[in-house]
Amino acid sequence: MLIIVWIFILGGMEMAKKHKPQFRKMTGLDALPEMVGRAAEMNRPVHFTTGLGSLTDSVAPQLVAGLAVLAYVTELCANYGVKIIYSVYQAQVMPIATELMKEAYVKAGKPEEFHAEESVRYLSGEQFAYASAVQGIAERERPAANIMIGPFYAESMLFSETFNRIGSIQLAGTARGYQIPFFAVVCDYLLIAEEIYAAGAYLSGDPVQVGTTRGQDYGKILALILMILGILATAAGSSAITSLMGM
Amino acid sequence: MSTTLKKTIPVAIVFVVALLVMMDYFIVTPPTDAAGKSWTSGVVKDLQNWGIILTAFSLGFGAVNLFYFHSKHISRRTPDQWMFSIWLLIVIVIFTGVGVFMGPTSTSYNWIYNASYFALSATVYSSLGFYMTSGLYRALRIKNIESTIFMVVGVIVLLKNAPALAVYFPTLSAWGSFIENVITTSAQRGIMIGGALGAISLGIRTMTGKETGFLGRLTEEEKGGGAP
Repeated sequence: MLIIVWIFILGGMEMAKKHKPQFRKMTGLDALPEMVGRAAEMNRPVHFTTGLGSLTDSVAPQLVAGLAVLAYVTELCANYGVKIIYSVYQAQVMPIATELMKEAYVKAGKPEEFHAEESVRYLSGEQFAYASAVQGIAERERPAANIMIGPFYAESMLFSETFNRIGSIQLAGTARGYQIPFFAVVCDYLLIAEEIYAAGAYLSGDPVQVGTTRGQDYGKILALILMILGILATAAGSSAITSLMGM
Repeated sequence: MSTTLKKTIPVAIVFVVALLVMMDYFIVTPPTDAAGKSWTSGVVKDLQNWGIILTAFSLGFGAVNLFYFHSKHISRRTPDQWMFSIWLLIVIVIFTGVGVFMGPTSTSYNWIYNASYFALSATVYSSLGFYMTSGLYRALRIKNIESTIFMVVGVIVLLKNAPALAVYFPTLSAWGSFIENVITTSAQRGIMIGGALGAISLGIRTMTGKETGFLGRLTEEEKGGGAP
């Protein structure tokens, strides 16, 4: 199954070289310039966090997806002259984040405006110490926009409610199913599961990257077909599909 | 920074490491050792150890960042901040001192951890109940058809979990279980399948050097000639 999905995705990349696929509108990502613009008008910072992710565990792809959006948002902030605060939970992410944020400022032609110690803040490697520190930043510095993309746990509601109370416009995205309802209730924009993985491709506009999401959609169609066949086969008393899937 | 240093080398490292880890997980590659494990097991274990060492180094980087940031607030007497900064640095020094001189598994270290962080952590976690209540209040306001459905479903599940009501109105329990076990579970699984495929797609993009978001936003030239 994994090999088939690989073939679909690589095929999608090849097809995209000939014909650029269309992406459906993702309101949350389209709203990023508006969010940064609002911060510029209010003369307040933008807050960004990638949650509790580590680069060495199963949620690492969510963290990588968050970093791709961080690079884009930092460039927007540099262009608009808005201060950005990136709250870090995992120290191992700091050098990567510092480098990509510095690059974003260089690309915007304002390298002198980037102050790593002000923008990249290591808070704590403990969940609730980190959560309290983010709440403290929200209360003291009152960011006009809050962007949360990555793996989130119990702190999701603490963040979204605190930033909602201080009037921040919020975009949240996670692939952790249990936290999606919390974000959906409180945040202004939401990216659900696979949308965060597609964010990098969407923001880059690179046809080859967009092509991989087409391959991913073919994978979803295959999963759907297998599910329907599995239901029909099981109802007919056959375990062929479940055996094939190793279930 | 040249494109080779900025893109080619990191992408090559990611490709090789990802390939080794996947090979170790999916394939038993000869030659195998006495325990029947392939040669990749040892290599992957070494890579994981390197990861641990790098993480430890970056923790030092984080500590320097903390000290630098908060020392600046203290020296500037930043309103509403500097006193917290002093307190934070004092706590860091105490924890580090006790940890280094008495050991992180010593009774003293465990005592200060349990008496301070553990208690505070439980307090913050408990406060989640209040945040959830205020969020729920906003979520259950009827504004349109979707929010009406949300409210009805939410109330059924809420009442189902209230023991007294579940006893007097057993139908609620059946409805609540149907919502949780059929509707919610199927939606969650749909999200899980989509998320898993998205993660695979991102992994392939990263391995093949097409996803460069974690390296910063590259120019068309740095991407390798730009998109067609």
